[in-house]
Parts: sequence; structure tokens; C-alpha cells
Amino acid sequence: MGVVLLLSAKSTKELEINYTNICANCAQLREDSSNFDKECTCSVPFYLLEKMEGNVYMYYKLYGFHQNLYRYVLSRSNSQLLGKDIWDVKDCSPFQMSHNNTPIIPCGAIANSIFNDTITLSYNLNSSIHIKVPMLKSGLAWLTDKYVKFQNPRTSDLASVFAGSAKPLHWTKPIYELDTDDPGNNGFVNEDFIVWMRTAAFPTFKKLYRRLKRVDYFAEGLPAGNYNFHISYNFPVTMFHGEKSVVLSTLTWIGGGGIFLGLTYTVTGALTLLASFAILTIHLMLKRTKKSFL
Amino acid sequence: MSLNEREDEDKHTEDKERILMANDRKFNALFDYPDNSIKTSKYSLFNFLPMNLFEQFQRLANAYFLVLLFLQLIPQISSLAWYTTVIPLIVVLSITGVKDAIDDVKRHQSDKQVNNRSVLVLVDGRVEEDKWMNVQVGDIIKLENDHPVTADVLLLSSSEPYGLAYIETADLDGETNLKVKQAISVTSDMEDNLELLSAFNGEIRCEPPNNKLDKFSGILNYLGVNYFLDHDRLLLRGCIIRNTDWCYGLVIYTGPDTKLMQNGGKSTFKRTHIDHLMNVLVVWIFLVLGAMCLLLSIGHGIWESNKGYFFQEFLPWQHYIASSTTSSALVFWSYFIVLNTMVPISLYVSVEIIRLGNSYYINWDRQMFYAPKNTPAQARTTTLNEELGQVKYVFSDKTGTLTENVMIFNKCSINGKTYGYSYDANGQCVPVSLNNKVDFSYNHLADPKFSFYDNTLVEAVKSEDHFVCLFFRCLSLCHTVMSEEKVEGKLVYQAQSPDEGALVTATRNFGFVFCSRTSETITVIEMGETRVYQLLAILDFSNERKRMSVVVRTPEDRVMLFCKGADTILYELLHPSCASLSEVTMDHLDLLGATAIEDKLQIGVPETIVTLSKAKIKVWVLTGDKQETAVNIAYSCRIFKDEMDEVFMVEGTDQETVLQELRTARKKMKPESLLESDPINICLARKPKMPFRVIDEAPNGDYGLVINGYSLAYALEGNMELELLRTACMCKGVICCRMTPLQKTQVVDLVKRYKKVVTLAIGDGANDIGMIKAAHIGVGISGHEGMQAMLNSDFSFCQFRYLQRLLLVHGRWSYNRMCKFLSYFFYKNFAFTLVHFWYAFYNGFSAQTVYDTWFITCYNLVYTSLPVLGLSLFEKDVNETCSLCYPELYEPGQHNLYFNKKEFLKCLVHGIYSSCVLFFVPMGTIFNSERSDGKDISDYQSFSLLVQSTLIWVMTMQIALRTNTWTMISHAFTWGSLGLYFCILLFLCSDGLCLMFPSTFYFLGVTRNNLKQPQMWLCLILSTVLCVIPVIGYNFLKPLLWPINVDKVLERIHFCLKHPLPLPVQAKIKHPGLRRSAYAFSHKQGFGDLITSGKTMKSSAFKTSKRPL
Repeated sequence: MGVVLLLSAKSTKELEINYTNICANCAQLREDSSNFDKECTCSVPFYLLEKMEGNVYMYYKLYGFHQNLYRYVLSRSNSQLLGKDIWDVKDCSPFQMSHNNTPIIPCGAIANSIFNDTITLSYNLNSSIHIKVPMLKSGLAWLTDKYVKFQNPRTSDLASVFAGSAKPLHWTKPIYELDTDDPGNNGFVNEDFIVWMRTAAFPTFKKLYRRLKRVDYFAEGLPAGNYNFHISYNFPVTMFHGEKSVVLSTLTWIGGGGIFLGLTYTVTGALTLLASFAILTIHLMLKRTKKSFL
Repeated sequence: MSLNEREDEDKHTEDKERILMANDRKFNALFDYPDNSIKTSKYSLFNFLPMNLFEQFQRLANAYFLVLLFLQLIPQISSLAWYTTVIPLIVVLSITGVKDAIDDVKRHQSDKQVNNRSVLVLVDGRVEEDKWMNVQVGDIIKLENDHPVTADVLLLSSSEPYGLAYIETADLDGETNLKVKQAISVTSDMEDNLELLSAFNGEIRCEPPNNKLDKFSGILNYLGVNYFLDHDRLLLRGCIIRNTDWCYGLVIYTGPDTKLMQNGGKSTFKRTHIDHLMNVLVVWIFLVLGAMCLLLSIGHGIWESNKGYFFQEFLPWQHYIASSTTSSALVFWSYFIVLNTMVPISLYVSVEIIRLGNSYYINWDRQMFYAPKNTPAQARTTTLNEELGQVKYVFSDKTGTLTENVMIFNKCSINGKTYGYSYDANGQCVPVSLNNKVDFSYNHLADPKFSFYDNTLVEAVKSEDHFVCLFFRCLSLCHTVMSEEKVEGKLVYQAQSPDEGALVTATRNFGFVFCSRTSETITVIEMGETRVYQLLAILDFSNERKRMSVVVRTPEDRVMLFCKGADTILYELLHPSCASLSEVTMDHLDLLGATAIEDKLQIGVPETIVTLSKAKIKVWVLTGDKQETAVNIAYSCRIFKDEMDEVFMVEGTDQETVLQELRTARKKMKPESLLESDPINICLARKPKMPFRVIDEAPNGDYGLVINGYSLAYALEGNMELELLRTACMCKGVICCRMTPLQKTQVVDLVKRYKKVVTLAIGDGANDIGMIKAAHIGVGISGHEGMQAMLNSDFSFCQFRYLQRLLLVHGRWSYNRMCKFLSYFFYKNFAFTLVHFWYAFYNGFSAQTVYDTWFITCYNLVYTSLPVLGLSLFEKDVNETCSLCYPELYEPGQHNLYFNKKEFLKCLVHGIYSSCVLFFVPMGTIFNSERSDGKDISDYQSFSLLVQSTLIWVMTMQIALRTNTWTMISHAFTWGSLGLYFCILLFLCSDGLCLMFPSTFYFLGVTRNNLKQPQMWLCLILSTVLCVIPVIGYNFLKPLLWPINVDKVLERIHFCLKHPLPLPVQAKIKHPGLRRSAYAFSHKQGFGDLITSGKTMKSSAFKTSKRPL
């Protein structure tokens, strides 16, 4: 079993680029929160040695970001996110109300700290032609989250429903402007938002950001070659000594390329076999000594 | 009690002297005496809730969870939703509450029934019917035959002469024989004259209510004269009037003041070793808990200053937190709440349920049901079961416990000829069988229950052999039995001692029927001819004289002295020539004959004792009987064996001799134990103040010890008791004879104090109550000596042989089950709780829990409770036949091997290991991982679902590993609980529930999304395997590498079960020859005084004496 798992883990390809320090100037800028409205972009070029076949997923990965702190996890309003009672902010301490005492939508520490970098990938076919790699921003979240747990209020005009509310402190635009192109991906049901709201269990985690749309050049996956990440750098990590990176990965039936399960299975199997041989030997030896005494 | 205190108390009593006036309710109302209604119930409808809750919160565990609840309500430190504690607490409280309520309803009903009984009260010169509860102090009531006494009343007059009334006190002290009460003459003269009675205006001054059944003093002032009153004038509530048509009484104590009520409800509560151990362990857990919380709060402080401070952009500190130190102080309490499940809330309730269940097994055991008396075994205390599996010392009474206490006239020797063996036609001695039973049909007064197997004696009687007739005449005259003729022609004898009854009954069957007696005459029907003997004198039996004598004048006007008594005593008095005449000489008597009365050993006693001694249980016989009898019994029931090296006798009559005898005995058994280098002597030399544990010493052979009560009095004195203990404990069997009840208690207490092992006392009589109460476990035999021993016992049954079943089967099972339960229970809570500890290192020590709050709520209560209850109610490691055939299996309990502090530490280590696996394997699986469609599984909710499902699987596998006997119920409980978990899980994560209460149930869809993932199941299997394999390995290696005795036996049993061979048949133990010849007459004085005083008899009438006495 372990070997099978290990082999399938081997068959996946993964590429991780940590851009915390590559975009050092932006990081510096973000350390001061008063600069929140200043734009900062940076570009990260890289070379893909082998092509990535099949579905390719783009993740962002955060290091040292504690999404599992007790108060943090609780600081959200599920009934608000259901669209049932959008003014219910009582569970959202310490981000319930904005400075002028209007309720925040969406309220709470989780929503407030949303990962707000935008990352786009472009493929440099040659030195002059830069093709933007087409990416899907749907199918990122659990279906139950997308269609049951997160619902917009039943209305045609989100902006009017949310009138009288404040946007979260760190947000640049209100909830009803998250995706103005696609009403099915706007408001509470925006998938980037939903993915963020599903808090991670450990301080180092990666979250699905985009999926490769397999058309044209990319029908088979990502071909090898030169690529560029264009990052609009908004999310501050250096001030809590965190790091962030972007990950491109293909998957198999068992998910990603983690070798933990495979390794542990192999080791456990081997150890058990060894131990049972040892026990058998002891057993036989003792039996023999017993007999010799008799 | 010091003398001073006693004086104080006396003064105190005098102050509160009770004054009352007969027939004067107004006067008596001044004193606010309670009315005669009783209330044994604890609660009423209104105070049930507050009172019951108050009582329950006095238990440490419940109080702890209440405190915890308050902590949870403080928002600053609350780390778990309030319902995680409230729901289990409510369930636990309500289970106990319901149990209490049911008990109390029963008490209410019985109170009501008693209070509404009717009684005849004298009102305004008429006798009127009223309810018991309306009776007031100072009322005069009329009591009738066979009716219970309403309150404590002063006997005024009765239908019997001299103002006598007979009562039975079975409910009070368990003695079934009749007792006599007598009214003072001034009131008994009133008889049933209602006018006189209603005019009676005596004033009574007496002591205030107390619980001393045999003590009462008061003064009756009537017509200016003072009469002294003692307890012989008082009829106590709870007695039943017998043989008395009517009597009148003055009510003195009512309802709660009566001696019966004052005596009730003050029983000492026995706790088992496991209880004590459990309390110690809970304290340990508290300490571990505190240490962990401290560690985590320090960690939190460090984390907050290093990381959390810089994380404030996203999660600012609460306004009241000034620094990381304050924060860490609060987190200490938060973790205290999170880790509270280390102290298992349902532990005590579960333990109670298990004990109750195991008690029912005892009650239901058909093999401990005694059909002839229709009496099942009874677990009267339901809290001591597992201690039955740990007994090391059994203290047994002799008469009625080892023996049946049914005296049977077996053999006799008259004029040198022995009767009683049965012969066939050829004169060969044949075993007793029904065929050669003597036919007594010639005698219509014969008792059909009596059987005798030697026809020669009947022939001798019929042929009117002189000596045989004289012999039976003696037996029919020389006794203090009373006769009753309830139905015409059917005599019932009331004898003070069973052996006397046996003799008179035998005599009756042979044709010398004792009919009735008055104070001056004895009427006997001798072979159909009624003869009246003049009774000149009775010298009643006493323990000192060991004989009784009567002097009678025969109808032929001859004066004769008949004497019967102990062989040893009478032998000295006999005429040396042993002449054949039954005449009175000045200093010599002539021997008429000897009787042999057999008090049979109960069935199976020797076998039981052999089995017990194989189980390394030491049996000591503590008896009031004399030495020869006791020793003989000891041999015949195999406490002593012929092949023993030596039986020591300690019979010294002064301290020096006793000490010398004990030392000599010990020197022989283990010479080095007298040296100063002996560990116990070294210990003693240090003169410890606390009673320390005297270790077991191994003697160099098999020895027995006999010690009599006189020597024991010295041996139990302060400095000698250790000598006694050490000598006695080295012996295989110990017989203590001629003991007082107090000495029995002292011996039990001695062993209990210094040996620190479980003791069991078994007895049937009132004299055994002391030791039954003193021992860890008291067993009552419901036999012939009343109910009192049984009422004070923890377990009761009819036959001594049931003891081996109680100990080796039920006790052993209970102990094993309890140990398995405890080790599993602690383990399961450690594994459950410690996962939080590991998680703390990844969540900034923020008191974040791994599991969903609902899982924490239900874990102990729903998910894991049934399998463990099933295990501890139905588990049998070996079946009952094996546990009886291999008594060696009992030993681990005595040394407390299956659950002790070491086992607890093993549980702790095992729990820590399991929690590591349970945390790190899911973490490894989930960390940086994703589903095959790229979506999230490394989120907190998936992680917590994974860990809790794994936990449940691991726990189920662990319980399956520990189960040896799989029944349908254990299958249902174990796998049912697992299924139930997944059902509840789906329910908790269902859309409907989560949409209805979005802020309470927020695990929407987690189950559906995760249980589809292969890596979840792979992780689950891996963790389970990792948790289970070390246990299997350990279980396999343990008997190989560190074997204890039991393992060999178990191996043999399993071998036998696999290769079905006939189980080793227990060799039938041969009864050693008839060694027993001892005089075992009653130690109580007979009715002699009463007979000669003439009180009981109507001197006038032979006719009237036919009435029921």
C-alpha cells in the first residue's frame, strides 16, 4: 500500500515560488498599514523545466499565518454569511462595527484578514509574445459551501441590500463588488472569499486560487517554458514574520504530492513484519527452553 | 467516652426528662411531642430538586464540574461552549436523581401504609378505631393478638395472668423467640375495665427518647405513690403481640421518638479499595492537569510576545489584555476548561451502574438460590462487588454457618447398648437410607419430620425395657421446653436451644410425649398413658455448670432427680460403680444413657473450604463454642488436615504463658522471625505511630492454631496483638473458640488494620454482627438464628457453600470487569484529551480545541459509554466452571494486580502514545494536502472530523481487543456505537440542522465532503493499526516474558477449551471418621426461671393450658 501511495505521489508535479522576498520593496511598503491604498505590483519570472500535464491548480501558500487561533476561528457570523440575517454581527468581535458604528459586512477577523493579492500567470512563448494563461475562478470551493453555507440575500441588487453597512477594515472594496462581472461569484458566494473563510487547521497552509482553463496552448496542461507571475502585492506577511508563496501543482487520485501517508504505511508495514518475526522467535525460543526443562 | 463527658451527658438527660400524663391530651400538648406518624422519606415534592441537587453537589466530581461550568460562563476564559459541560452534568445528575426519586417514592408509599394502619384508642371511656398517625403521647391504646405495636407503650394490663404479655421482636433484633413483658401490679389490676382505664391519671417521668433497645427507666406517679419502671414494662414499636388476647398500654414515645425509629438509618458506609484508589488517581489527574495547563500557559505567554504581538493587525488583543503575561494567566484557565475531560465526569456514575448490574447477577444467580427455603442470594450493598474478588481472609462463625444448626437426635446409648446404627436382616450395618426408616405410625403424636433408622430402639421401647423407658422419661422431663397446641393433636415446641428441642422431639416420637407444663407440674403422655409429675425444682442450664437438673415427684410418689449435661461434666458426677438404678444419692449420679445429637455440617462445606484455600484465601473460624467442638469441626471441614505438621494450642491463662505459647509456635514455624534482623522486627523497633502494613511471612510447613477466648483476651492487648497476628497469619488455619462478640470484632479489626487486605466475615447470629460490620465485606447466612446478621450484612444467602461462588465467580468477574473498565476508561479519556495538548503547539496555545464542541459533549456520554458498559457488564475472561475448577485464578485480585497505580501509569503512557498517533497521523495526512479535485481538506473542520472519527475507531478496536467473550449484546453495543457515531455525525453536519442554527452547528457538509476522500480512510486505518499493534504485541509478550501464575493457568484453560478433554473432576473429599463427640448445648439460659417463678403458667389449670401459650 505504502509503495503504491509513494509512486502516485511521485507522479505529481509541483512548483512553489516564495515571493515574500522577491517582492521585498512591496513587502516593506505593506508593513505600514497606512499605505494600504498604495498599489504595489511585482513580477516573478520562472522557467518550467518539464511540462505539467493534465489539470493544473494554482495555490497561494502562507507560512506562519495562524488561522486556527481560538478567537480568530470564532470571529465570524454564519447567519450573516447565509444571507439570513446580514446585520447579525454579535459573534464577530473584535471586528463587529466600523469606526462610525455601522455594522461590518462581512464581519469578523477571518473575513477582515482575507488574502487579497491578485496573481496572474503569463506564458512567454518567446521574448515578444506574452500570453496570459487562462484561469478559472470557479470550482474552487466545496459545493456545500458554495450553494448551502454561503448565500446572498435574495435580491437583484446587492448594493442596496448592503447599504448602511461598512466594508471590513482591510478591504479596498465592499463585498458586493468582489466580482462585478459574474453575479454568481459576487457577494458572499465569491469563491475566493469562501475558500478563505474555510479556516486552515495549521499555521502553514495553501489555498486553491485558480484552476487552469485547458484551452489552446494549454489544452494538455502547462507546457515547459518561460513564465511570469504578475502579483499585485496587498497582503502583508513580514510584520508577523510570515511568508507567502504561489504553488502550481498537478494532482492524482490521492490528491497532492504529500509522501507522508506513503512513507508511514511503508515504515509501519516493515516494522510490523519485523516485530512479528521477533516475537515469533522469542516465542519459539521460550517454548524450546520450556521443553528442555521438562 | 471519659467519665466527665458521661456525667455531662447524664445531666443533660436529666434536663430533658420527659413528663406525661395518662389520658390528658391537654397537659401533654404543652410539651410538643410529635404525633405517631413516621417519615422515612427524604424529600417532598417541592424540596426534591433543591435538596437532591445539594446532596449531589457535595460529591467532589459533581462539584468540580459545577465550578467548571461557572468558569465557562466567564467570557474572558471560556474556551468551550457552555453546553459541553452542562449536558453531561445534567445527564449524570438526572440519572442519580431518578434513582433517588424512585427510592423515595417507595419510602413514601411504605410510610403512608404504616401511618394509615388502624389501632384501637381509648377515648372517653370507649374504644375507638383510629389511624396510627393520630395516636398521641399519653393515649391509652388497646393491642390485640398478632398485631404490631403502634408506638413505644407502657404495658398497663393484659389478658394473661400477672399482667404478662408476650412479644416477638423479630423486626427489632431479629430474634424469633418470644419475650415476656410484665405490667406493674397497680395497673394490671385494672384489666380491661374501661372505666378504670379512662380514669387512670398516672403521671410518668422518664428519660428522653434514645436508641437503646434494652434500656428504659422512668417513674410512674399514681395516686401519690411512685412506681419504678424499667424496660420490662415497655412494649416497643415494631414488636408483635403473641399469645396474648389483648393488652392495654400507655403511649410514651411516638413516631420519630420511638426506639425503632431512633435506631434506624445510621449505618456506616463501606468503601472499597478501588474507591480509595480512584480518589487518589483523580487527585493525580488534577496535578497532571495543573502541570499541563501551566506548561501551556507559559507557552502561550512566549508565543504571544513573539508572534501574537505582531499578529495584532489581524487579531488585536482584547482591550483588557495589557501584556502577554495577563493573556497567559487567562489561558491557564482556558486550558483548564479544555482539558477538563481528563477528569472523567461519567466515571462515578458508570461505576455505580456497573456495580448495580453485577449485584443483580448475584441476586439472579439460580445456583445460589436455596430452594428449600425459597431464598435467593441477595446483594444488600451494591457498592462492594469488586472487593469480593480480592478477599484474602475469611472469618467464619461455626454454628449455623459451617453447620446447619439443625440438631438431630442421631444415636443414643442406653445402659451400655448403642442405638442408632441401622442393620439389615442379617445384622450387618448398612448405610442409612429411606428404606430402613423407623415407622412411628403407632404414635399419633409423633412429629412426621423426625426420622430414625434403628428399629431396635423402638422395639425396646415397645417392650417397655426399664432403662430405655427411664432414659426417655428423663429426656421428657428434664428440659425447659414450652409446648403449644395450635391445632388439636399437633404440638409445637418452643425451645431456647435447638438441641434441647431435638431431644424432646425425639422423645416424643418414641412415645414419651411432653404435653404441657405448669409451674408445679409436667404432663407427659407415656405410651398413650397420661402422667402428671410434680415439679419440685429446676436447676436451669448455664454456661458454667453446663448441665441442668430437675427434681420431680412421680405419680407413684417417688422423688427423682434427672440431670443432663455435657459429657465431661457429668462424667465427674457419676457413681463410680455406675449402678443401674436411677436413684438420688448424695454425691453420685447414675448414668442412664448418652445421647448423640448431630449438628450436620452444611452440604459442601469441606469442599468449599478446600477450594477457598486453593485460592489462597485463609479461613479463620471464630466461634463461641468450646474448644473440642471447634477443633473437631475444623478437622471435619478440612480447615485442619491430618497431614498438618502441627496444630498449636494457645490456652494460657495469664499474659506470660500466652506470649510464651505464641512465641514458641512462631519459633517452630519460622525461627528467623524472632531474630532482630527480621524486617518486621526492625520495623517494630522503630516504633511507628501509624499502623503499618505487616508483610506476609512464609512458614516452613503447614500449621494450625487454636486459641481460646480467655487467652485471646490477653493476646489482643496492645503490645501482644502483633505477636498474635504474626503467629496466626503464618498458620494455614486458625480456630478461635469461646469468643465473645466483641473479641470477634477485635480479631477482624486487627487483621484489617495491619494486613491491609480485604477481609470477609460470615455469620448467622446476632453475635456475629460486630464482625460483619467490622470486616470489609459482611456476609449474612439467613439461617435459624433470626434475621439480624442478615440485616447487617452486605451480602446474604442461605448456605455456606455459596461463598465460593460468590467469591470465585461473581467476585472475580466483578473485580476483573471493574479493573478492565477503569483502565479502559482512564485510557480513553487520556487519549481523547491529550490531543488538545499536542494541538496547542500549532495554534499559538490559544486554547483551541481539536474537536467540535458537540463531539466533546457526546464523547463520554453517547459514543463510548455503551461499549464500555457492555464490556464491564458482560465480560467473562473464563467461564464459571473454569473459575471454580482453577481457584488459582483468584489470586491476582488479592494482590490487586489488575488495577493499581502501576496499571494506571500504563494507561497514562498508553493514552499519551495513542493521542500522539491520533494527532500526528491525521496532521501528516492533511498537512499541505488537497483533494483530488484540488479543493481544500487541510481546513480546521476537516481535521477535527478526521481526528474524531479516528479516535472513535481506535477506541472501538481497543474495546474489541479487551473483550474475551463476544455476546450478541457486546456486538450490538460495540459496533452499534460506531454506527451511531456516524449517524449522529451526519445529522450534526446536515443542511437542515446547520441552516436552522447557523451559529451553533457550523460543520455543514464536512462529513459528506470528507468521508468520500480516500486519504481520510487511509489515515483512519493507519492510525488504528498504529494504536492497536503495540497493544497486541504487549499482550502477546507479557505472558511470555513476565509471566505471573495466572497466565499459566489461563494457558491451560485455553488449551483445554481448544482440545476438549474432560475437565479435571474435583476429587470428592473424604470426610474423616467421626471425630466429633462434643456437647453443644445452648449457651443461653433456658426458660427455667420463668417456669419456677410460675409467672407463665396458670397455676390452676391443666385444661386452660391447652390454649396457645
